[in-house]
Amino acid sequence: MGKPAPIPDQASAFFWEGAARGELLVQRCEDCRAFQYPPTVVCEKCQSRDVRPTRVSGRGTLYALTVMHQAFLPVFAEDLPFTIALVDLDDAPGARLLANIVDADPGGLTAGDPLEVVFEPRGDYAIPQFRPAAAQRAGAA
Amino acid sequence: MSGQAAGRRATVVGVGYSSVHRELGVDTRPLVVDACVAALRDAGLTPTGIDAVFEYPGVGSQSAVNVQRLLGIGDLKAYGDLGGSGPSGLAAAMAAVAAVESGSCDVALVFRSVNREWGQQSGRVEVPPAGNAAQFTLPYGDFGGIIPSMGMRKYRRLAELGGSEEDYGQIAVNARRWAAMYERGVLTKPLTMDDYLSSRFVAEPLRLLDCDYPVTGACAAIITTAERARDLAGQPVTIDSVAFGTGSRPDWTFSDDLLFGGTIGCARRLWEKSSVTARDVDVAELYDGFTHITISWIEALGLCGIGEFGDWVDGGKRIGPGGALPLNTNGGQLAAGRLHGLAFLTEAVQQLRGDCGQRQVPGARVAVVANAHGPQCGAMVLTRE
Repeated sequence: MGKPAPIPDQASAFFWEGAARGELLVQRCEDCRAFQYPPTVVCEKCQSRDVRPTRVSGRGTLYALTVMHQAFLPVFAEDLPFTIALVDLDDAPGARLLANIVDADPGGLTAGDPLEVVFEPRGDYAIPQFRPAAAQRAGAA
Repeated sequence: MSGQAAGRRATVVGVGYSSVHRELGVDTRPLVVDACVAALRDAGLTPTGIDAVFEYPGVGSQSAVNVQRLLGIGDLKAYGDLGGSGPSGLAAAMAAVAAVESGSCDVALVFRSVNREWGQQSGRVEVPPAGNAAQFTLPYGDFGGIIPSMGMRKYRRLAELGGSEEDYGQIAVNARRWAAMYERGVLTKPLTMDDYLSSRFVAEPLRLLDCDYPVTGACAAIITTAERARDLAGQPVTIDSVAFGTGSRPDWTFSDDLLFGGTIGCARRLWEKSSVTARDVDVAELYDGFTHITISWIEALGLCGIGEFGDWVDGGKRIGPGGALPLNTNGGQLAAGRLHGLAFLTEAVQQLRGDCGQRQVPGARVAVVANAHGPQCGAMVLTRE
């Protein structure tokens, strides 16, 4: 059995479909301009229903991470240890995504480090993941 | 409460426990009956005297009306199963306070019954569907209750406020000190800081010994008016203040305040409504499902400043037996097992009545109790008249 693939709903379909095309899209309110994540049915700031998918650069900043040493789902056991992180998007203030950190030793990361999105195919879609930003990776090499 | 007729002030008049089990496969039904009957006896009441039942449901629990039937209690004036989104087991007692003070009922039974299976979800074979809220977490292996969230909370606190892993270890070491003096203690062997620092990572930096210990068991309390309490045998304990908190973007994962969640607002409202202050607290019973939660409450409640826990705890002396602020005096959930929240209330009541034997905090008159974290915060101040 494979790893769980996201099951989109009406409010989130654009996000997973965008990821499948290699685009990171988050909701932005056309009325108050606030960004938000996860996607939902109204703007949580002003209750406008005019929340639109907006493409962002995929650059982000590490807010927090945890390194999983125990797989609560057996399907993730072969990945241990793996890293789950919260990432603040640089050009969408207020949007904080959860993802795995890939291509990095988490011990070498610090809150505030620059990250960039990559997409991992999953089921019919793809899921956004984050790795250290290119400059960071070059510096480490 | 302001505007509340003094006679209807909510009061705890009885507490009770079942036996507590570490083995799997124990039926909680007889245990919840034992805990409720013990609380009734403690209050000098029989089931016919109860007119309301509240509980926090979940794996291993029984509904309020199931327990009504098991205890032969008559028609209820108020009841509720307050699970899922509330402040753990304390939610049941908080609902009872509101029902008693409003006049909806006069004598409320509250209980929490849990089983160890609830804490044994690791390695579960079925993968649940990654739909609804889980579509944003489950594909990333974020599973296992709030354990990954707690790992990130600990990480972010250390990054943002500094401090050390030893700060967290003080909560774990302290729990064993107190549990050794508690007749229902489960993990009673002393713990050293080295033991804590060498315990395995579950969700690094979260360690195994940051997590509470799953058990099967039940506890219960009886809440009534101060007026009714005067007719009963026991020493009543007054519920001086009650407050909830959720934080401004309530979510275990996508919150705007991972460090404190709803604890700060909850604590502010608690003291605004209280007849006493943080400086008056003699004993603190603060949720320790994870050590991060306990530290958050200590700071949110103003027992020390934000980010100052490490200095304040003074190598553990302040919160241990004989310390200036005894904390989790039965070992909490880390060492007396996860009865899920309500046991912080029952222990506080026993401390204020002076019933705690060798772990008694001398002369305790004011206790603060808090449950949960993130979007599910609740707290109470209790006083002895």
